[in-house]
Amino acid sequence: MLTELETRLLGILMMIIMLGMGASLTFKDFRIAFRKPQGILVGLLCQYGIMPALGFLLAVALGLPPAVAVGLLLMGCMPGGTTSNIFTYFSKGTLALSIMMTVCSTLVAVLMVPLLLSFYGGLLDVSSEYVIPARNVAQVLVVLLVPTVIGIALRKWNPNIGATIELIGALLGVFVIVFLIGSWVPRNWQLLLTTSGNVYFASIGLGLAGMALGYMISRGLKQDTRRARTIALETGIQNGPLAVLIVTLTFTGTMQQQVLLIPILYSLFIVLTSSAITVWFRRITTREELARDSAKVPTTPVAAPA
Amino acid sequence: MDQNAVVYDLKPWVRQYGQAIPKELPPPRYSNLAQFLRESEARYAKQTAFTTCMPNGMHGSLTYEQVARYSDAFAVYLRECIGLAAGARVALQTPNCLAFPVAAFGILKAGCVLVNTNPLYTPSEMEHQLADSGAEALVIVDMFANKLEGILSATRLRKVIVCQVPQFFPAVPRAVIRSVMKVWNRALPSIAIEHIKFAEALAEGERAARNNSVDIASYAEDARVDTLAALQYTGGTTGVSKGAMLTHGNLLSNIDQALAMGSSHIEPGKEVVLTALPLYHIFAFTFNLLCFYAVGARNVLAPSPRPIGNLQRAFENYPITWVSGVNTLFNALLNEEWFAAFPPKHLKAAVAGGAALQHAVAQRWERVTKTRIAEGYGLTEASPAISFNPLSGTQKPDSIGIPVPGTDVRLVDTEGQPVPLGAAGELVVRGPQVMAGFWNRPEETARAIRDGWLHTGDVAVMDADGYFRIVDRMKDMVLVSGFNVYPNEIEDVIARMDEVLEVGVIGVPDAKSGEAVRAYVVPLADGLTEEAVRAHCRKHLTDYKVPKTIEIRRELPKTPIGKILRRELRAEYARGQEPR
Repeated sequence: MLTELETRLLGILMMIIMLGMGASLTFKDFRIAFRKPQGILVGLLCQYGIMPALGFLLAVALGLPPAVAVGLLLMGCMPGGTTSNIFTYFSKGTLALSIMMTVCSTLVAVLMVPLLLSFYGGLLDVSSEYVIPARNVAQVLVVLLVPTVIGIALRKWNPNIGATIELIGALLGVFVIVFLIGSWVPRNWQLLLTTSGNVYFASIGLGLAGMALGYMISRGLKQDTRRARTIALETGIQNGPLAVLIVTLTFTGTMQQQVLLIPILYSLFIVLTSSAITVWFRRITTREELARDSAKVPTTPVAAPA
Repeated sequence: MDQNAVVYDLKPWVRQYGQAIPKELPPPRYSNLAQFLRESEARYAKQTAFTTCMPNGMHGSLTYEQVARYSDAFAVYLRECIGLAAGARVALQTPNCLAFPVAAFGILKAGCVLVNTNPLYTPSEMEHQLADSGAEALVIVDMFANKLEGILSATRLRKVIVCQVPQFFPAVPRAVIRSVMKVWNRALPSIAIEHIKFAEALAEGERAARNNSVDIASYAEDARVDTLAALQYTGGTTGVSKGAMLTHGNLLSNIDQALAMGSSHIEPGKEVVLTALPLYHIFAFTFNLLCFYAVGARNVLAPSPRPIGNLQRAFENYPITWVSGVNTLFNALLNEEWFAAFPPKHLKAAVAGGAALQHAVAQRWERVTKTRIAEGYGLTEASPAISFNPLSGTQKPDSIGIPVPGTDVRLVDTEGQPVPLGAAGELVVRGPQVMAGFWNRPEETARAIRDGWLHTGDVAVMDADGYFRIVDRMKDMVLVSGFNVYPNEIEDVIARMDEVLEVGVIGVPDAKSGEAVRAYVVPLADGLTEEAVRAHCRKHLTDYKVPKTIEIRRELPKTPIGKILRRELRAEYARGQEPR
C-alpha cells in the first residue's frame, strides 16, 4: 500500500495529468463524442454488464475462497479508473469519450455498485454491508473534471501554453505509470511469492478479458474501431484505489488482508497489461490514420452534419 | 488552318467571365516583386502575415511589419555580408515555416534569384539542382542539413544558412518543439559542415544595415518585368530536372491573373488562408504565398499535412476562409470525422490543382462545406496558373475550367496546326505568365516554346463555351496496334473497383502490337487478383484498351504533392527488361 503522503502526491500528480489531458482537447471533441451518444451507453453496458459478471464467473470457475472472491467481485463492480484516460491518450484513442465514460460510470457507481454487489454477493453467498464512500466518489469526479475543464480553457486561450501543459501532463503520466509499477513490486514482493496461480489468473484475467469483451461488444454494436479500442481500455481498467478504500472501510483484520489481495494484484497487473496494449493500439491507430489519409471517397453519402 | 485557329483566338471563354473577372489584363502595377512586397508590407503593417501551426497547436506568428524587417535584414546579409551580386542564385530548402517567406522575400529584395528546392530530395538530387542552378548560398532546414555533407564540393555554395521549423516561435514552445524533435523523433541530426544559423544571419544583416547605411531599396532597383526572379525546377518530360526561368513579370502577372479569378471571394485584409501544400512547389508558392500576401491575408502554414490529423489544430484555432489543395488532401480531410462533422465555418472557397480533382471529391466537398472547389490547371513553366473553373458562374465537373485573363490557348496537332472545335489536341499557351525558358538549356527551351507558344504536352478538348478538359499527357498515350489509348481512361475504370486504392497505367513496348497497356494496381486490402482486375476491365473497355499485363503492388511512385509518376513506372519497367 502507498503511504498517506504518496497518496496525496499521486492525487496532485493526477490533477496535473488531467490538466494536460484536458489541454489536448477542445469542447468540439466532446461534441464529437456526444454525436454518437450510444458510445457512452455501450461503454456503461460494458462497464457494469461485463465486468461484474466476469468477476463472478471467474470467482466461481476458479473456486476462490470466499474472502478472495469478495475482492474479485468488488474489483469487477468498480467504475472506470482515471488511469484509463492516460492510456487512452497514449493509444491515440477517443479521449473525450474515455473521459465521459469515466465520469458517467463514476456517477452511476453510487447506485450501481451496492446493487451489483448485493446481487452477485447473494449468488456467491458472501453478502456483506458495504460502505460506499460517496465523498470519495465525488472526489474522483472533482479530480477528473475540474482540471480537464481548466485544461480545455487554457488550450483555447493560448495554444502554446495548452500544448506545453499537454506535454508536461503526458510526461507525468509516464512517470506515474512507472512509479506505480516501480514502487509496487518491492513493497509486495512477499505477496507475489505466496499468491496462488488461481489468484494470479483472476487478477490478470479480469482486466484482459474485460478489454477483449469490451472491444467485441462495442464492435458488435457498430462502434468504429477507434471508439471500440477506447471502450475496451475503459472497460478493462477499473478504479483500483477506490476498491481498496471500500475494503478498508468495510472489513477489518485478516479478513481485510484477504479481501484486499485481488484489488492490490489487479492494480499492479492492469498497469502492465494496459501499457502493452496501449503500445499495440497506438500502432494500429497510426496505421489506420495513414490508410485513411489515402483512402478513396466512400460511395455512400455522408451523414448530415449534426 | 486559320479557320480552326479562329475558334480559339475568338476566346469563347471570355463570355464566361461575368462581372467579377476583367476581360483584359492590364500590365503589372509593379516593375518587380520587391516593390510588390513592400507595398503590402506598408499597407498591412500591423496585421498578422504568417502563422506556423504545428500539429499539436503550438504556433508562432509574424506581422507584415516583422516580415518586412526580417526579410530586409536577410537581403542586407546576402548582399553585404556574403557579398552576393544582383542575379546571384540563392536556394531555399525548407518545409512550410516562418523562415520560408522571410528568406524567399529577402532573396527577392536582394535582387537575387530564388531557387525553390524540395527538402525531401536525396543528396544526389540536391547536388544536381544546386550545381545546375549555380546557387551561391543556401537556406536549409536543420532537419536535412546533414545531407549536404558529401556534395558541397560539387556546388558553388559560398554560404549555408540553417533555419528551423519553429523559427520565430516564442522561446518556450520553440524549446519544447526542438527537444521533442531531437529526443522523440530523432529528426535533428548534427550538422558537420560549416554554417550560420538563420537568426544570426538576420542579426548580422541588421548590424550591417546600421553601420554601413545601405540603401536596401536599391538592391532590386534594376529588376524589370523581364528580369529573372526564380528558378523553379521541374522534372518535365525527359526526367532530368530543369530550372524554369520565371521572371518578375511572370510571377506578377500570374498573381493578377489568379486574383482576377478569385476576387469575387476575396476581401482584402480579411482572409485567412491555410497552406498545407509545400511552398517550394509552384502552386502554393504563387497562389498561397504571393497572391494572399497581395491581399493582406493571414497565411496559416502547416509544416506537414501527413497524417491529415496534423491540420486539425489549424482548422480549430484559425477562422480559415481559403484553402488550397490537391485531390488527395481534400479527400483525406473529408474522411476525417472532425472535419466532416464540423466543417470550417468561415470557409469561402477552395482551390484544387496539381492533379485531376475527382468528381466525387468535389461533390462531397461542396455538400459538406457548402463552398466550392475551383479546379485549376497549370504548369511550373507558366508560373503556374493557366486556367480555372470560375467560382461564380458555371463550373464544369472534370474540366480544368477557362483560361485566366490575358492568356491565349490553342489546341494543336503534332504539326502545330490548330484542331477543330471538339477535337483532341495538344494544349499550347501564350501569355505574360509563360516562362522565359529553361535555365542553360536552349535546346529544351526551343522544344518547349515554339513560335511563342508553350507546348504543355497535355492533350485536351475544348467545348463551345470555352471550357477545357484534359484527356491525358501526350507522352503517356499508348499506341496499341495503331489505336490511341489514354491511360487516364483505363485508370478511371480500374479505380472504380471498390477493392482498388490507386492505379497507374503506362504503355510498354510489345512485339505484337507495337505498344501494350500495363497497369500497376494498389489494392485496399489483400486478396485482389489480376484476374479480377482484368475481368472488370473487359466489362467496361474495348478489347485493345484492356491491360495486357497487370501488376498488383503495395505502392506507386509519386511526386511530393501526390501525383502518380508514370515516368518512374516506365523507367522501372525498362530496368526490369534489361538483360542481366
